[in-house]
Amino acid sequence: MTDRIKEQLSTFLDGELPDQETALLLKRLERDDELRGALSRYSLIGAVLRNDGAVPAARQVAARVSAAIAREPLLGRVRIRLPDRESVLRSATGLAVAAGVAFGAVMLVQQVKSQDPAAPEPLIAQAVVSPVEAVSDLADAGDGPAQSYVTPPATDAPDGLAPAQLANYLVAHYGYASPLVRRSVGAGLISAAEVAVLVDPPKEGQADP
Amino acid sequence: MNSRQAIALALGFAAAPALAESGQEWLEQMTGALNNASYVGEFVCESAGRTERLSITHRVRDGVVSERLVSLSGNGRELVRENDEVVVYLPDQKLAIIERRSGRSDLMGALPQFHGEVARWYKVDYVGREATPFGPTAVVAVRPLDGYRFGYRLWIDVDSRMPVRSDLSDGAGRVVERLRFTRLEFNNDIPDSAFEPALDRSKLRWVRQSPQADDEAPAWRAAQVPPGFRLSVSGIQAVAGAGAPVSHLVYSDGLASVSIFIHSPVPGQAPVQGSGRSGVASAFSTVVEGHQVTVVGEVPPRTLKLIATGLRPATMTPPAAPAAAANRRD
Repeated sequence: MTDRIKEQLSTFLDGELPDQETALLLKRLERDDELRGALSRYSLIGAVLRNDGAVPAARQVAARVSAAIAREPLLGRVRIRLPDRESVLRSATGLAVAAGVAFGAVMLVQQVKSQDPAAPEPLIAQAVVSPVEAVSDLADAGDGPAQSYVTPPATDAPDGLAPAQLANYLVAHYGYASPLVRRSVGAGLISAAEVAVLVDPPKEGQADP
Repeated sequence: MNSRQAIALALGFAAAPALAESGQEWLEQMTGALNNASYVGEFVCESAGRTERLSITHRVRDGVVSERLVSLSGNGRELVRENDEVVVYLPDQKLAIIERRSGRSDLMGALPQFHGEVARWYKVDYVGREATPFGPTAVVAVRPLDGYRFGYRLWIDVDSRMPVRSDLSDGAGRVVERLRFTRLEFNNDIPDSAFEPALDRSKLRWVRQSPQADDEAPAWRAAQVPPGFRLSVSGIQAVAGAGAPVSHLVYSDGLASVSIFIHSPVPGQAPVQGSGRSGVASAFSTVVEGHQVTVVGEVPPRTLKLIATGLRPATMTPPAAPAAAANRRD
């Protein structure tokens, strides 16, 4: 959403947007979930600052949404808990809370889906024959068509190089791996059953930590 | 006060997060969250026919990063990191391996910045919103512009700015690994005890992989590297099982990295040649100038092979020449 759209939205709420632009904005609102969310949030902020009594109603709506969500079965849901500091900060800024709750409610109700047609579906297919995996989807195919992909076996060290030797190198590389995948490298080290570490003969006088 | 003034006033001090407008902005905010957040959680890692579940405890306190990964598969294995030291505990083998990097500030270095040079090799796109079990997320795609690196697709929690899911894909967009959180709780008061391994350390044999003298530079350089890859770290260290000091070079394009290990042949052992893979990391081994070379990194195998086969002693090596762009789409 560009600054110009934000400005239009704000002007629209003030009733000052020309008719022609209003028509265009309304059309955009019909197809733009994010814009509708922003409209809801802006409206609420305005209501709070005007103290026109709309906020309690909004809070009631938000509370009802929260209650409905709370009643849902937990299966398949993921917990995410914000830090106390952040919670306190939000409590201290009542306006922000109102805006955030309203916006959160909008997002939760709408359950907006990705706009990208190439977005992957959940990983649903795995090869029966281990350790080769068939991954059924695309992460981000760009211009290419969807296709399946079979990844190599999990830990197939180079011919003649024992998995243990590869593990030693992986440990040495771990600290330099991209932060986006470092945990994956770590996960591979402590998860794969065949990962082992080569050991040199102990040196005299060497003490363990 | 009209609405515009009200909005400006509200957004000026509201804690309600302003929404990022581009993939770049989302990634920058994600980087900020990763740099500062302390949390505990669990995640699932799907790769190469395996689904692994792990717990994670991550704390940033006074600039010190502590992290503990625990396999929940029942093997008791853990990885504990405190700044420049990493310890991998393998109780099933009665072993612990320590990687200590004193004096090398690049270890666990800063998170990548998705602009400048990196933008030449990756295209960052804001894909849109997607509902997840965590709630709404912003989906951002980081697409490689050639075939020498992997791409990423990140689901960034709108509220906390933390990536709650990431897919790693090859140049054609095919998923090679998926990592997703199943639980994530922020906590600014994680005690030190949370980073103590839940095993009897006195029964373990300790294997050290320490750096040698910092002023001892490896006598090797990569004569050909993919566009954008530059030497970021070099040194000599011990690697268990290598039988001799190992030259360790790290080349990075700002996002992906490749480690090169060079050492003298191990007496009585046949040289190793070939390629392989462990989870998200690939490996390629060969022999160059009578030395055993193994290259490891979170990049496609072709990248490793290119770098490994172009390795030369520093005395006869001109500066690394970028390889021709492969399958470049821009």
